[in-house]
Amino acid sequence: MSTPVPPPRTPVELRPFRLFPGFAWPSFGAWVAAIALLALVPLFVKKPLLLHMWIMVFLAVAQGSAWNVVGGYAGQYSVGHAAYFGVGAYTTMMLLELHQIAPWWGVGLAILNAVIVSVVIGAITFRLRGPYFVLGSIAVAEIVRLGALYWKGFTKGAEGILLSGIPPLQITQDWTIAFVGKRPFFYAALMLAVLVVAANWFVQNTKLGFYFQAIREDQDAAHSLGIGPALHKSIALAISAAFTAWAGSLFALYVRFIDPNIVIGLDVSVQMVLICIIGGIGTILGPVVGAFVLTLLSETLRNPKWLVQAGLFSDESPVIAFIQQRLANTHVLFYGILVVAVILFAPDGILGLARDATARVRRRLAAGGRRARQPAEG
Amino acid sequence: MKHTRGRHGSHMLILQSILSGILVGGVYALVGIGLTLIFGVMRVINFAHGDLLMLGMYATWWIFTKTGIDPYLSLVLTAPLLFAWGALLQTAFINRILGSLPQNQILLTIVLGLVMRNTMLLIFTSDYQILTTSYSSSSFRLFGLSVSQPLLYSFLVTAVITAALYGFLMRTDTGQAIRATAQDREAAQLMGINVSRMSILAFGLGTALAAIAGALLAPTYYIYPDVGAPFTLKAFVVVVLGGMGSVVGATLGGVLIGVAESLGGAWVAGLKDLNVYVLFLLILLFKPSGLLGKSRM
Amino acid sequence: MTKKKLLPLLAAAVAALAVPGSGRAAVKVGFINTITGAEAPIGETMTNGLDLALEDLKKQGVDLRVIRQDDTGKPDKAISAIEQLATGDEVSAIVGPYTSQCANAVAKQAEQYGVPQVIPAASKEDITRQGYKWVFRVNAPAHVYAHSLIDAAMSFGKPKSIAFIYESTDFGSSLSKVGKDYAVSKGLTVVADEAYQKGAPDYRSTLTKVKEKNPDLVFMVSYVADAILLMRQSREIGLKPQAFLGGGAGFDTSQFESERAISTNVFSVTQWTPDSGPGAADFAARYEKRFGKPPTYHAACTYTSMMVVGAAVKAAGGDRAKLRDALASGSWTTIMGPVKFETFEGFTNQNKVAMPVIQYQDGKKVTVYPKAVAKKKAVYPFPAWK
Repeated sequence: MSTPVPPPRTPVELRPFRLFPGFAWPSFGAWVAAIALLALVPLFVKKPLLLHMWIMVFLAVAQGSAWNVVGGYAGQYSVGHAAYFGVGAYTTMMLLELHQIAPWWGVGLAILNAVIVSVVIGAITFRLRGPYFVLGSIAVAEIVRLGALYWKGFTKGAEGILLSGIPPLQITQDWTIAFVGKRPFFYAALMLAVLVVAANWFVQNTKLGFYFQAIREDQDAAHSLGIGPALHKSIALAISAAFTAWAGSLFALYVRFIDPNIVIGLDVSVQMVLICIIGGIGTILGPVVGAFVLTLLSETLRNPKWLVQAGLFSDESPVIAFIQQRLANTHVLFYGILVVAVILFAPDGILGLARDATARVRRRLAAGGRRARQPAEG
Repeated sequence: MKHTRGRHGSHMLILQSILSGILVGGVYALVGIGLTLIFGVMRVINFAHGDLLMLGMYATWWIFTKTGIDPYLSLVLTAPLLFAWGALLQTAFINRILGSLPQNQILLTIVLGLVMRNTMLLIFTSDYQILTTSYSSSSFRLFGLSVSQPLLYSFLVTAVITAALYGFLMRTDTGQAIRATAQDREAAQLMGINVSRMSILAFGLGTALAAIAGALLAPTYYIYPDVGAPFTLKAFVVVVLGGMGSVVGATLGGVLIGVAESLGGAWVAGLKDLNVYVLFLLILLFKPSGLLGKSRM
Repeated sequence: MTKKKLLPLLAAAVAALAVPGSGRAAVKVGFINTITGAEAPIGETMTNGLDLALEDLKKQGVDLRVIRQDDTGKPDKAISAIEQLATGDEVSAIVGPYTSQCANAVAKQAEQYGVPQVIPAASKEDITRQGYKWVFRVNAPAHVYAHSLIDAAMSFGKPKSIAFIYESTDFGSSLSKVGKDYAVSKGLTVVADEAYQKGAPDYRSTLTKVKEKNPDLVFMVSYVADAILLMRQSREIGLKPQAFLGGGAGFDTSQFESERAISTNVFSVTQWTPDSGPGAADFAARYEKRFGKPPTYHAACTYTSMMVVGAAVKAAGGDRAKLRDALASGSWTTIMGPVKFETFEGFTNQNKVAMPVIQYQDGKKVTVYPKAVAKKKAVYPFPAWK
């Protein structure tokens, strides 16, 4: 059946959900307030588990939003972002453990390294389109993973790298940050998440971002308008890779052990795509929502007791008991079923669902208003 | 037998590697044909393909342990069973998202795979199941080479099934309708072909082929819920190598990957998979339509 | 009379006041294990071992409440699990996790929160080499596997060369690395060093290559089912060294044992056999009766870990610091033989396990080395494939 393969159907028109139709002070204020509130969290939340979950959520926001730049705005569905996550994690850990270079320099170098890698990978894979690009991106990430496993002398291979300790960061004479406990990681992760979301905002609202979106909607048309697809896709990928690598560095420093399967495995790539699609692809808020929902959902199914720690449920609550007793072996299964449901019934993600719902309510209100104004009909 | 000890091994080593490579490649070809059929008709990359193979393995193993029917004979039961399962998946899930965004399709198949794996985990636990037949580790000697018995049998089964499938696609009306759908979905619909039915048929067939591959692997391999993932990736390589949507291409691609892996394993075992992906990337770059495909996406 | 009765009562009351969660309420112990994910098959045997230990402890009057957490084999989930157990459930001690990367991630946190952690079966050397005061390991770390096997082979015959085939995982490469160094120090020549990626059905070409090097010893490290795969294919291509040395894990499972065609005369090394200590044979019988398969050393190590924790709780109650002191200073006779956490050669709180070498003879595991505990003579060299 060697039949010619027709070109893929152009993707269904995907209009980004514009939280910001350009810059607006009120929404900017709302974001600043939200960030300020989050920054206060560690003052009130003392439980390490809850702080740990915040850190995981922020990392997920960073990963999802980083992927969103190239996957959501530029429309290049990479399923190989684990490569950048891994480059970030490995650069930082190798510099720190094998060459004693402090992680704040290490993270910078990790980002630089990931950008360079992204240019090389982009040069190879951006010649491919549609499903071929997806498969090509997977192949590249697998090559990076297998390479990290094989070149033991360089990366320590499957044995992985164990972090012995992070040196304290001295900012001024009497202000030193010791990387002990959750708090420094909480702020580091929060900062990263804020920066990536801000990057998404710029991508959505600047000329550069419009170019990305033009390429997503119709690469050939964009090209004919003078938007160089190769260059712009590479820029999108570089931004995305930089933040992904940063997230990888932070993950490695926080978890304190990496091996190729943990940081360059296919599931890392899939998770990033999942966050975006479940939340709402190509929107600023989407990956944020997706990160919260997926992280909290998976943790709730695995360990419902965090709800007790958060003070949302009592220890004797039947909900907690049910999840703990009945879902002990099946929490991943339930997670999967819920995700299938979202993909089937909310193809534009949770944000899309919310938008549809508000639109419906608005329509109904409007209709109700009209009826109210014309009561004497018939 | 005295062997020369060269860095790159002797001629015997190379011949032996090529032989096992071709025989294992037969199974890869089956996995690839299933995937290429699904892609050709629906333009959906099925990330759950390895998990369908896993289901085939479990079905074979279950029948073997309950009734003692030889895994190669029980194909007549497992193939239709998994065909039905594939058709159900298509009707209940894939058909709903055909018009949706490509990334949603990818994710749906990924997550369906996750659900299937964890369902099997629930039913059969995560224990490794081993299916041992009388020929599981036997071999024939041929000109000083060892020919694995189970691999030889599975290769023969593969050859028969591939030939039958090819005949079905080329000679029967239904087969032609599937091909027409793969060529141009809209045009086929205009010609009065029931495209949705063809999709169900294609996914069913693809699933059955993956399951047959699983059944053929069962006597030599082991079975556990997560066994499928490497086969999904391998199937991608096979399909791209042969040209997406091309059955003959996938057959050729399967055998080639089998040989490439085997030779890679004879060279440096740690670089075996790496070689395969580099080969894959090179094909994507320099002949993205694959060895036998005609067009590029 | 009254005094005699009063004293224990008083002691119990004091203990109840001093130690929150002790006294009438059962002492809480956390169990972090891999219940889902790729390592789940071994996780299951560990759960079984733990459950048997709990029954036995109950009979001894030690009432523990075990709180279980699944780490899915991922270190970030393992951290989440220890946070919950240490700061949410406020357990007195933790048993687990299984995999080295998770055990290590948990160890760091256990040290920080001051919760005694008893690791049953993670083999990475570094875990007990970081000077942690709250982390105890029952099983032997990776180098013991390699040293025992090579020592055994050197005592059986006069091998000159050795080939390594191992899975490209932490366990596989760490074990082979110490194995290679040790082999060289014993005067063996390493003729092949092949790390393979698991998940492929065909290793024939790699095995053929090894066959051409004609090694006297073939040292293999594989997880559960790859061991069977590698031995089947070795038989097919006719690889025939003086001895096959299996580095535990996949070579030490009931499934491998039952594959007589390929397991006969293969050596393996193990943390535990039914002869390892008093009650070991009984444990094996009970385990098999209850779960329908013989126990693996993971199950026995977990059983032992839990029994040790139980004994420590019995002695010291639920207070974390007292429990740690009890673990650090105590010694126990277990189904793994004597258990004592010691500080030596860079290790801290590490139990010394002399790992016995076993050989599969007539479809049964038989201890053949060291001589002191050997039940039968080793079959060496490898006779021929049947």
